[in-house]
Amino acid sequence: MALPLAFILTGLLALCVGTGWLVLQPGLLATYHYNQNVIAVTHLFVLGWICSVVMGAMYQLVPVALETKLYSERLARWQFVLHLVGFIGMVWMFRAWNMKQVGHFGSVLALGVSLFVYNIARTLRSVPKWNVTATAVAAALFWISFTVTAGLSIAIAKCSYDSTEGLATADGVRTLTGGLRLVAGFMSRFDALSTMHAHAHLGGVGFFTMLIVGVSYKLIPMFTLSEVQSKARAAGSIFLLNISLAGSFATILLRSPWKLAMALLGVVALALYGWELVAILRARKRQTLDWGIKYFLTAIVLLFPVSALAVVLSWPRLPLNTFTGQLENVYGFLGLVGVVSLAIIGMLYKIVPFLVWFARYSRQIGRAQVPSLAELYYAWLQALGYWTFLSGLAVTCGAAVFSSEIGVRIGCSFVALGIATLAFNVAVMLAHLIRPKTKPLTLHTAPVPNPA
Amino acid sequence: MITITEAAILETLRQVVDPELGCNIVDLGLIYSVTITEAKVSVVMTLTTPGCPMHESIRRGAENALLNVDGVKAAEVKVVWDPPWQPSMMTEFGRAATGVAIN
Repeated sequence: MALPLAFILTGLLALCVGTGWLVLQPGLLATYHYNQNVIAVTHLFVLGWICSVVMGAMYQLVPVALETKLYSERLARWQFVLHLVGFIGMVWMFRAWNMKQVGHFGSVLALGVSLFVYNIARTLRSVPKWNVTATAVAAALFWISFTVTAGLSIAIAKCSYDSTEGLATADGVRTLTGGLRLVAGFMSRFDALSTMHAHAHLGGVGFFTMLIVGVSYKLIPMFTLSEVQSKARAAGSIFLLNISLAGSFATILLRSPWKLAMALLGVVALALYGWELVAILRARKRQTLDWGIKYFLTAIVLLFPVSALAVVLSWPRLPLNTFTGQLENVYGFLGLVGVVSLAIIGMLYKIVPFLVWFARYSRQIGRAQVPSLAELYYAWLQALGYWTFLSGLAVTCGAAVFSSEIGVRIGCSFVALGIATLAFNVAVMLAHLIRPKTKPLTLHTAPVPNPA
Repeated sequence: MITITEAAILETLRQVVDPELGCNIVDLGLIYSVTITEAKVSVVMTLTTPGCPMHESIRRGAENALLNVDGVKAAEVKVVWDPPWQPSMMTEFGRAATGVAIN
């Protein structure tokens, strides 16, 4: 319980810092995104918030969703340390635009990611019944590895190796710098902006969206008491998403006009996913949807505008001007803070109560009256957070399109308020670990037997 | 000697609540059978979803609750998946408490 929670709390802290950063520097969203501060804050959101929570949740959820056990908790603990050092160092060094140090901290992060990939891959090997969720998790592991490799290659390409020229060093160091030069030479064939966009898509679609789609095929039926309605449709959505992503990566990197076709293929994949999700929800036995599920489903609805923007931005010979540049900002913001973050918040409202309940009350059940999961937090705060977060998203996106710094600041303040409600609810849940709320059982007592 | 009745057992199992659905396991219709043999009680039950992460907690909780009943010296709770749980197995109270539809 402690490790997933450590990842999740790290993620929440990064989310608060990242959102605060946007409130203080709204110009980051109101101007074009190719600058050191935008790259730093994006990595804070992506690595600090999203990856921390996703990885922590995967250590908890993958064994549950696939009915198996985590391969190694020890490796997961090591990964947490490497992840923490890696992402904090990377964000700091992106901000200072010291690409050499970005590469060093990125290597620490990459080592952690390789432990994560190995751990989850070994866990997948013990899955008793392979299914569409396991396929999506396996694909996501491939794409996160690819994303990190691409990211490190970009960092390598931005470094200079002139200072190593006269070094009379050991063969190992020579081989290493030689290898780095080769990578840098290879990467120089591609346009810097295209490599950055291709790298971002690998992570955003390959790791985050793939997991959202795949894991929801298990969790949404579990929480709404339903079942996957068409395994072929579910498998088709994962297959097409993979094909679309591979194609998008290549076409974005090469600035190919086929980018649009790949984007449309991704839209078809997500449409299949949406179709299946609607079918699952229609067949559900639990009619009432709690706020956690509402957050998650709203994130899925936001895939519509994000997909529409993807199609527009993939249009062949689209001019890169201030307006389209701002549309790219909105696309990234709505994808990461809208779709991915909202989906994560929804799942957090399922995972954190479970972790707290399991740690504090699972041994007391049957010995005392214990609260249900829904009694561990305030539903009215969830509702308040939902509406403020959504309002903030809408205002920020509108303001970003028109490059309005004041609008972005107002919008991000609303988003921050939504996040504050989540943070408060998480604190309320964690308080149960210190002060459990149990009541004595009202037991059935047999009547005293008549001695006669 | 204290007589253990099925009604007393079910009343006690009403103290065990499925934390996700917020309703007790009796009104959820999760209890399939109760067998009382002198001071030993055996219960066969199910859960709403196979692979439910609360599986072991709920099973052990039911055993703990049974051991609190006057006269019960041993308790055994077994979870089965056949027949699978259906909302129609719930009581009216269970349906009202959880918002689960029959169809």
